[in-house]
Amino acid sequence: MSTESATEHPAAPSAERAADALPPLDAPPTTLVALAREAGHHHTPAPLAETLLVARPLLAAAGLAVPDGHLTVATGPLDVRFAHVDTGSRVGPTGAAGTDDALRVSGTLHRVPWARAAEAAVVLTEGPWGGPVLFLLEAAEWRQVTGANLAGEPRDDLVLLDVTVPAARVRRVPAALVREAEWRSGLARAALIAGAARRCVELTVAHTASRVQFGRPLSHFQAVKQEEAKLVEEAALVTAAVEAAAAALAEPDSAEFTAWLAAAQAAASVAEITRIAHQLHGAIGFTELSPLRLATTRMWSWRDEDGGERAWQQRIGRHVLDGEGDHGGEGDGDRLWQRVTSG
Amino acid sequence: MTLSALDPGAVQLPRETVQLRQEVRDFLAGERAAGTILGRPDSWLTGWDPAFTRRLARRGWVGMTLPRKYGGGGRSNLERYVVIEELLAAGAPVSAHWVADRQAGPTILRHGTEAQRSHFLPRIAAGACFFSIGMSERDSGSDLASVRTRAERTDDGWRLTGTKMWTGGAHVNDHAIVLARTDESEDRHAGLSQFIVNLRDPHVRVEPIRLLSGEHTFNYCHLEGVELTDDALLGRPGDGWQQVTGELALERSGPERFLSTLPLLTALVEQMQRTGGGSPEQQSRVGRLTARLSAIRQLSLGVAAALAAGRPADVQAALVKDLGTRFEGELVNEVREILPTTARFDATRGSYPELLATAILHAPGYTLRGGTNEILRGIITRGLELSR
Ligand SMILES: Cc1cc2nc3c(=O)[nH]c(=O)nc-3n(C[C@H](O)[C@H](O)[C@H](O)COP(=O)(O)OP(=O)(O)OC[C@H]3O[C@@H](n4cnc5c(N)ncnc54)[C@H](O)[C@@H]3O)c2cc1C
Repeated sequence: MSTESATEHPAAPSAERAADALPPLDAPPTTLVALAREAGHHHTPAPLAETLLVARPLLAAAGLAVPDGHLTVATGPLDVRFAHVDTGSRVGPTGAAGTDDALRVSGTLHRVPWARAAEAAVVLTEGPWGGPVLFLLEAAEWRQVTGANLAGEPRDDLVLLDVTVPAARVRRVPAALVREAEWRSGLARAALIAGAARRCVELTVAHTASRVQFGRPLSHFQAVKQEEAKLVEEAALVTAAVEAAAAALAEPDSAEFTAWLAAAQAAASVAEITRIAHQLHGAIGFTELSPLRLATTRMWSWRDEDGGERAWQQRIGRHVLDGEGDHGGEGDGDRLWQRVTSG
Repeated sequence: MTLSALDPGAVQLPRETVQLRQEVRDFLAGERAAGTILGRPDSWLTGWDPAFTRRLARRGWVGMTLPRKYGGGGRSNLERYVVIEELLAAGAPVSAHWVADRQAGPTILRHGTEAQRSHFLPRIAAGACFFSIGMSERDSGSDLASVRTRAERTDDGWRLTGTKMWTGGAHVNDHAIVLARTDESEDRHAGLSQFIVNLRDPHVRVEPIRLLSGEHTFNYCHLEGVELTDDALLGRPGDGWQQVTGELALERSGPERFLSTLPLLTALVEQMQRTGGGSPEQQSRVGRLTARLSAIRQLSLGVAAALAAGRPADVQAALVKDLGTRFEGELVNEVREILPTTARFDATRGSYPELLATAILHAPGYTLRGGTNEILRGIITRGLELSR
């Protein structure tokens, strides 16, 4: 269960640098979410959801040009200094200011999705001025330690050894953009989960219709029907939440909250969806002989990769309870209902 | 069955088990100190360590219930229960001898010839002879009686042809007990027989099937005209179905039906203890799991006691297995929520994220193996109907 064996996981897809068929930058948000769902449905071996729903919009919001090809996103603490220290204002060993915002960066970014298949990475961390910074790293600038999630998808550590990032690829950004990176990542993962949930339903329905025991297809048995119905219900729940979040992407007021709802619901539904799909598949679904694992092992990883449902649920709960900066905010319980209906 | 059978009453373990339990705990403490890998979820499926098995056997904890004259320990089923619940709770690597100890030994004792008993039982009890279960096939899972593997009469025995599937450990074990059709003409339950098959026979071809985790425990077991003498037949021709179903109560109510993931809960508790004991919310959730675990264990002990007293307990065993195996999965979900972390199969072996990953990746198996929960619930409701 070393890194090596994980990357040789039988489910590990090949990681080519595929720049094929990405939609144009001005594609509508609902299209982008639909494409991310398709990526989850077909377990596409590329950081498609990360590129379309997180990296590109963040670059655009920060006012940076969007490069071609697949992009990934990484956040986390790094050692960040000015590349060109302003000697005139110099205080302390590393300098309080730079003559421009070019940076020298060292450190490790952990478990970055599909780094080995990405042309560039959008990095969010803290700048030497003590506020958030966003910069674009090109693939040649990092050293990669390969890793994998439960499905064998690349989750690589990026090691940065005194990399100089020119000012043209660096932007000081507001704290709101850090939050946006979080909820966009949550939405991207929710869209992937919705796609994979659909795959679970399709595979299970096909399996119970064709597998015969006791002289009848499994779908004939009441117990199987009941479970299958619950599977379809739970998958529908996830899809509905993701579609609502997709529609709200264009609404600055509700985009963040509905993305939280989708992320929370998608992550929370994974356990029930995967449980039923596996149960109805029997032993074959537990093995390499069935494609079910390609959906379920991904779902088990994706639900955790941006903090897990507890983190999303907590954000929602805190927001509903504390009434900070919202219309209704009378200090009563109405806010919960107002938020549910505001999308 | 009457409804009162669902009320098993409190079980008092015999006094001699108190000391026995302590001996097992002392032994495990020594193993832990010596660096044996313990604490792993589902260790009765994938914890394969023949040297550990032999150390257990030297203590008399393999084949414990077999009679002394066959090299066994002559101990009671409740004593065995205590030993294996300690081993499972500790996540000890018991998979090498698991099937031999739980199933093959008692089956051979009950249905085998004197020659079979005196050949196999001492070896099983010495931890030197490991068995696989050769029941399921591609098209015969829940509907086990539909197996297609055939044993044809030859001049001096039988010729076995067919393919078994999901045969756990066939690549490392010595023998399999194979369920095969010996008579096509009768009703489908009547024409089945069981055979003891040497897995190293040149006409047995074992082909791996990887789990979704990439681990190897399952196999195809291709039986390509295996020539068997009459010595290989278990009991009489046609007794196979009765033999298979006869052992089910024992197989279905054991502590492996609710303890497979307990080592993960133990790891969580240790992690919480290291970090200040947890919040009230975390504590109450640990408490909820503890209460449910404890109640399920009482039910399981009730079945063990009923069986020890010679009372039938098929329905109660099904009930315990449904509750217990669902609990094994619920535990994983709860632990994940109590202390969220990214489950990582490539994290340091034995670390909390790696144990969590193992328990998650093994979860599909808990409610399938040994009879699925849907089939078990069918048995429970049929039991209720009979009691009306
Ligand atoms: C971890 C593991 C280890 C195993 N080890 C072994 C081994 O060593 N040797 C061996 O021989 N076998 C082994 N098995 C196989 C096991 O016995 C079968 O998986 C089990 O009997 C179920 O059969 P199946 O997988 O073909 O599922 P199926 O029978 O195809 O069932 C699929 C689904 O349909 C449901 N279903 C089927 N029939 C009905 C019905 N009548 N009413 C309601 N629902 C129904 C089931 O509950 C299940 O949800 C193992 C399985 C697992 C998961």
